[in-house]
Amino acid sequence: MDWSQFRFHSFGINKFIDMKKFNLADIGLTKYLFFTGKGGVGKTSIACATAVGLADQGKKILLISTDPASNLQDVFKQTLNDKGLTIQEVPGLTVANIDPEQAAAEYRESVIAPFKGKLPVSVIENMEEQLSGSCTVEISAFNKFADFITDKKESEEYDYIIFDTAPTGHTLRMLQLPSAWSTFISKSTHGASCLGQLSGLEQRKNIYKQAVQTLSDPQKTNLILVSRPESSPLKEAARSSHELQLLGIKNQTLIINAFLEHADDSDTITKQLHERQQKALSEMSEELSVYPIYKIPMRSYNLSNIANIRKMFNEDILANIEDNYQPLDYVNTEKELIDDLYKSGKRVIFTMGKGGVGKTTVATQIALGLAKRGAKVHLTTTDPANHLNYNLVIKAGITVSRIDEIKELEKYKNEVRSKAASTMSAEDMEYIEEDLRSPCTQEIAVFRAFAQIVEKADNEVVVIDTAPTGHTLLLLDATESYHKEVERTQGEDIPDAVRNLLPRLRNPEETEVVIVTLPEPTPVFEAERLQQDLKRAGIQNKWWVVNACFSLVDTKNPFLQSKAKSELMWIDKINKLSNNNIALIKWADL
Amino acid sequence: MNKIEIFDPTMCCSTGLCGPNVNPDLMRFAAVVEMLKRKGFEIERHNLRDVPELYVENNVVNKLLQEYGVKVLPITLVDGKLKVSKTYPTNKQLSEWTGVNLDFIPLE
Repeated sequence: MDWSQFRFHSFGINKFIDMKKFNLADIGLTKYLFFTGKGGVGKTSIACATAVGLADQGKKILLISTDPASNLQDVFKQTLNDKGLTIQEVPGLTVANIDPEQAAAEYRESVIAPFKGKLPVSVIENMEEQLSGSCTVEISAFNKFADFITDKKESEEYDYIIFDTAPTGHTLRMLQLPSAWSTFISKSTHGASCLGQLSGLEQRKNIYKQAVQTLSDPQKTNLILVSRPESSPLKEAARSSHELQLLGIKNQTLIINAFLEHADDSDTITKQLHERQQKALSEMSEELSVYPIYKIPMRSYNLSNIANIRKMFNEDILANIEDNYQPLDYVNTEKELIDDLYKSGKRVIFTMGKGGVGKTTVATQIALGLAKRGAKVHLTTTDPANHLNYNLVIKAGITVSRIDEIKELEKYKNEVRSKAASTMSAEDMEYIEEDLRSPCTQEIAVFRAFAQIVEKADNEVVVIDTAPTGHTLLLLDATESYHKEVERTQGEDIPDAVRNLLPRLRNPEETEVVIVTLPEPTPVFEAERLQQDLKRAGIQNKWWVVNACFSLVDTKNPFLQSKAKSELMWIDKINKLSNNNIALIKWADL
Repeated sequence: MNKIEIFDPTMCCSTGLCGPNVNPDLMRFAAVVEMLKRKGFEIERHNLRDVPELYVENNVVNKLLQEYGVKVLPITLVDGKLKVSKTYPTNKQLSEWTGVNLDFIPLE
């Protein structure tokens, strides 16, 4: 990188950003605190540290996770439930975990159980299938979520109620739903589509309404956007902030986590890291700079237990470093991974992992590597942040496409409209439009685009970087139920692309899922759960990529050496999880 | 004719748009039913997912289900009598039952 240019950029266009150190006494504490941000930015840790910190001050705290892959269980080393359990080590703290999948399963069982034996098996199966969709998952989770926001007893019992929400896309949808639903409930003229399955919808109308009001009341709710001082999570934070602002949630605060306080000019890597952070911050969206901004320094230790969580806002501790620090050596890197993928002749390659782990970067590297070895490659991104290095990719002869959720939805809507128009009057079209606003419609639309891309694997190797984990799982889940639906409606108008999709994804000769993670606790736990989900879906996974490893970097800086050392236990764990099929990628100034 | 009842299979939405493919016949039917309801006819659509108890309580429907399984849906009853199964009624049938002219001009 040309640093002279960077300096010009950095100091020429730099805005003055007033960043105070994050301190529980300073932030505008409201009864309800919501943490949101791209996966991996540390919102779980910050939500926990806030909850633990306030409880240590003698406050009564309820901490609720709505993350489909909750990390709170890992931090508190305690199995949690959706009702709330007190934490022995932290007097005053109660923690609840809403697992959307489990909430959906419970809901499904409660609906179906009374009819087992009364209706034939084929009918029961039909009901189970329909109640396995993403609508049911979202609705049953939101149901519990709304209960926590509106419960009077809880509001009186606790001083603060803290939500550690799911990755951005999911959070947004969940927060977006209330206003959509309020409109839906009041305006709907026909049987409420996706909401029809909610028993007693009308009775719960007030609960939803109240939940929406609480969320948009600045006296009651503070939305805390969490980001790292890196460009992609900052863009994501700006987007969330904007969308939530439009939904009426205006009391927002930004936290910059893992901020490197001082540049260490004697160490190249530290200097690069520091300058990269400064550059990302100087390019931060204007929209974010209107909110109070706090920073939390980068920590060299793992935030995977309560003792370290307690230190997070206050102090740093360095691991004991031997005098002869050496970076890791003799390990697989991206080269070995790509060699193996090339030799195996696989046609469909996914990079999967939590948001922010670098799926797009890894997918790009795989595509470039395969092209270099002579394969014909197509690269697809579903990441809305879309930071592919186009020039490099195009120059290598790779074709590129993007699944744009909004465009795909519009395309699908238009297809429906044109089919409907031949049989319908204008008035009736309004009725169709109502169903086109359903969240399932969007899933279906994206899914169709996904199937079409995978079909390209007939002629070339397709590399796909998927969207964040929660969404990915929904996509896979959609694949599954879609497949069943296809089997049931054989002979109807179903594109071949869709019919061939799941068998292809399940064929280990054709498909490889590369799990991408970081050498940090949260991403590793999440990746482990992802591996289990893939197994359940019957999809093959061999390789794991550990991205952005400081442990491969030769650094003189004791802080980074300490950070590198803390990575080792996670690399070790991944080694076991992946049966030694692990490829490490060095932290690099990209 | 007093009442038309349709027993749907489980559906995400009454137009089937949430399903894997667009079924123009289902959309046609959903829209016509909605129009007839607005004209004051008593027409009810039941979704197996939401009101499974009706599929147990209604003798005609339950007998068909026990005999043929879920494939027999959708079932249409007019004043409690079986009229159509496995498919939705046509506009012509609905027109006969209600006396409403359903030959409308399609949208372009």
